Amino acid sequence: MTDSIIVTKHLSHTYLTGPVPKKVLIDISLEIAPASCVAIIGFNGSGKSTLVQHFNGLLRPTEGTVSVDGIDVGAGKADLRALRRRVGMLFQFPETQLFERTVFADVAFGPHRMKLSRREVRQRVIDALEMVGLPHSEYGSRSPFDLSGGQRRRVALAGILAMKPHILVLDEPSVGLDGEARAEFYGYLRHIQQEQGVTIVLVSHDMAEVATLADWIFVLHEGRLVMQGTPRSIFAQSDRLLAWKLAVPPLSELLSLLRKQGVDIPTETFTLDEAFEILSTKNRATL
Amino acid sequence: MTISPIIDIQRITYSYPVQAGRTKEDQSMLALREVSLQVQRGEYVVLLGHNGSGKSTLARHCNALLFPDSGRVLVDGLDTRDVAKQRIIRERVGMIFQNPDNQLIATVVEDDVAWALTVRGVPAAFIRERVEAAMHDVGITHLRKQPPHKLSGGQRQRVAIAGVLALRPQCIIADEATAMLDPLSRQEITQLLHQLNQQYGLTIIQVTHLLEEATMAQRVVVMEEGQIIMEGTPATIFADLERLRALKLVIPEPIILAERLRAAGVSISRDAVTVEAIARELML
Repeated sequence: MTDSIIVTKHLSHTYLTGPVPKKVLIDISLEIAPASCVAIIGFNGSGKSTLVQHFNGLLRPTEGTVSVDGIDVGAGKADLRALRRRVGMLFQFPETQLFERTVFADVAFGPHRMKLSRREVRQRVIDALEMVGLPHSEYGSRSPFDLSGGQRRRVALAGILAMKPHILVLDEPSVGLDGEARAEFYGYLRHIQQEQGVTIVLVSHDMAEVATLADWIFVLHEGRLVMQGTPRSIFAQSDRLLAWKLAVPPLSELLSLLRKQGVDIPTETFTLDEAFEILSTKNRATL
Repeated sequence: MTISPIIDIQRITYSYPVQAGRTKEDQSMLALREVSLQVQRGEYVVLLGHNGSGKSTLARHCNALLFPDSGRVLVDGLDTRDVAKQRIIRERVGMIFQNPDNQLIATVVEDDVAWALTVRGVPAAFIRERVEAAMHDVGITHLRKQPPHKLSGGQRQRVAIAGVLALRPQCIIADEATAMLDPLSRQEITQLLHQLNQQYGLTIIQVTHLLEEATMAQRVVVMEEGQIIMEGTPATIFADLERLRALKLVIPEPIILAERLRAAGVSISRDAVTVEAIARELML
């Protein structure tokens, strides 16, 4: 398939910094479709972060190739500057990286460094703030430090969006946000994916989050890609996930418990509505 | 003599000091308004609320990190504002925070667990015994020689808990102690707190915004805008899902499913709030 925006072929990565070389990624071949939202899940140390750091050239493959948006990341002459403009990265607790005096200045930092005209920078900041629900007219001149945690995180996201990336890599984006802030944040992400056609790569421990956002899941275990598929097919295999120290969403856990007790529930059951449908009719039948 | 509560919060009000650049109106934002709460010895209480509801502020009053503007807080009968008593209060009520890295100091696990005893000048043999017991209780004995930064988040949080346990507190407050952990480690830490409560009668106050962490508590206290607005067993709290939703809390899907099935005539006890209990009810 040539229309994938990210392609890795036999990607391996070995850290040479310690006393003994450590192989953290082993022979990973995967493809990510443009404008999709994929999730990369795995227990601590499974290689998730190492993998996504290849997507914007923070790391280069020790073996194999990585191609992102047409750029060969492994090539010696790869234009990493261009790559990093196209791949925005939001690290964990990004709100701690805000530093400017105003929300506007903070969001403008990235585009400003791209040497865009002042007018262009201004327009991008206004658009980006609009996208994350913090209109410039109301929030632009405020100090980022006067905002709530959820709002600060959205400012950090706007700072990335203002650089108009084609790909957005998010590392545990909603850790520490409460229910409402989380739902809002998901809404903005979905909007960015669907309206702007941005490809989203999500690294997350939160299976409820993965189930909500992702179209496709890659499961890593000890540096290998061990499983991939739709959330529906992945979360149906709760026992395999548990063996890799991964939790399934609570609803999948409940259904799996019932299945073990002999209740006949199709493995592809995934949403709340489907589970309700099956269990309520079952109950009527037994009465 | 009647048994006094371990923590006795009497009508306290608190507002954070004004920060430079803030207006007068912001200043009048009260973080706590006339809050009263008694926690009994050996109780397992969950303080529930979304970000900014005042739950952490309240928790920090329980071991003399913050002091009320009005009202008072008694810990084991001692007023937290009494400077001479604050050290004893902090020994009796230990606190675990969101990020274990903020409270890990030493280069290997066992030194870290011993830290608080060491700085208090406790005899070495005594320290060894306490540290041994604390590491055993949280299940990190095999990690004793490891540097904390090489451990997983869940393991680091266990080290932090062991460090507090080594002081033999009567009460442990876990302030969003699972927020940065993966789901399995999160469940394990909650189970560990539950086990410490059962085994040693240790009083536990768990501060969280996650409803699933409230299911094991004896009592759930829900906060909103600096006040306690609901209080009761997990089953009574979970009975009003609409209210919980309005409080910006995420309702676990199995609970929603149970509620909908109940409305459709399936008999599921309201006491069933965990995944296991709901599954058991559905099997009947």
